Amino acid sequence: MQPPAETRPRHALAHGVRDYLERERARMLSACTACGKCFEACPMPGYIANRGDETPAQVTANVLGLLRDGQASGIALDWIKACVRTGECVRACPENVNPKLMMRMAKMIATGGMGGEKLLPVKDDRDFFARIRAFAALQLTDEEFKAWME
Amino acid sequence: MDGMNAHDLPGRGERITLWYGCNVLRHGDIVHACLDVLRALGYDASPAGGPDFCCGSTKDANLVAADGMAQRTVDKLNRRGAAQVVSWCPSCHAQSLELHAKGYELQYGNRYFVELLHENRDALKKLFVHPVPMRVFLHRHMGFNDKVAVNAMVPEILSLIPGIEVIDDDLRAPGYMCAHLATVPSAMAHMVRETEARMQRHDADALVTLFHQCQRELCGLETEGGKPVYNYMQLVARAMGLAYEDEYKDWKRAGAGATALIGPQRLEKVGAALFERAIVPELVKKTTR
Repeated sequence: MQPPAETRPRHALAHGVRDYLERERARMLSACTACGKCFEACPMPGYIANRGDETPAQVTANVLGLLRDGQASGIALDWIKACVRTGECVRACPENVNPKLMMRMAKMIATGGMGGEKLLPVKDDRDFFARIRAFAALQLTDEEFKAWME
Repeated sequence: MDGMNAHDLPGRGERITLWYGCNVLRHGDIVHACLDVLRALGYDASPAGGPDFCCGSTKDANLVAADGMAQRTVDKLNRRGAAQVVSWCPSCHAQSLELHAKGYELQYGNRYFVELLHENRDALKKLFVHPVPMRVFLHRHMGFNDKVAVNAMVPEILSLIPGIEVIDDDLRAPGYMCAHLATVPSAMAHMVRETEARMQRHDADALVTLFHQCQRELCGLETEGGKPVYNYMQLVARAMGLAYEDEYKDWKRAGAGATALIGPQRLEKVGAALFERAIVPELVKKTTR
């Protein structure tokens, strides 16, 4: 017997973003050699205070540690926090790891987005979407608001 | 192209969804101009956006929520039935390519708005009937350009407007858009200082942004006494003779006094408490320098 339509999984929505990211996490941990090329190519370390004397390879290894165990040491957390998805790392990576996504996942983990301990603070902006609706109410006609936003 | 049937225009009446995003709703003039230009090119464009169509990229710190939003939005865009979804927002476009398409079955093709304009540039040129005499300095980022070559396409589009001269410069800001960059204040301040220095060196008349978040973050340079700051779509609109006002910039200039420009009727739709709590702080915020 078929379950009711509203509870049946829709074939078009079968896998999900979270499953994909978990698969990517495993792939990255297997593919990345922590060579540090991504860190070298990134424009953001120049804006990290107290960079210390860690090598790019050590910093990258610490990012992998976060992906593996949910823990980070050294300046890896500062680098993760400063990542703004520039993408220079993707071109620099010799192993097809996709370090931009790796850094994004590291930030997801560090902010508690994938479960585990929260290592980086998250801006708690509870008016984020209310603000957008407010601007929409100011900028769109009532008819546009109804037709375009729902 | 007055009097022409949509099927005689390059869009040929094709049904598309203009997925404009969330934060661009601060700039109603940009959303309206995007829709107008698509329709002038012959597309049957239907807009969709706002929180109910959020791509989920704002919820990286809560993947359960992010995935739920992604699923909901893909489902809604699928149900709209248009074969093409044209994104305005680079974050939404990237999220769709990088995550939505990996986790879900998208029953539509993804295009970025600039790609569509660039592809239709011959027809677009005919729409640019009003000169916009201006030497402009383009504000470009390093990110996103790997997905769509916006840093080359937008100057090509702007160069079709009579009177516009796009200054050649190699400054590229880190990241996708300035709202991301602003989370690293020292990087944002460095970029702003460098931009102002180069504009002065080139004797630029105006700064032109590619993305709405950059327009939001940088329009304060004008309202704080600097040179004009436009989004490229505002210049496209002007060249087409579309008379939209950049109200967000006016409100930013007025700061806490923006209520007088908005008027009681519109304020009532928002509510005084939300306006004071969520909008005024943004309007009075100064540009990071």
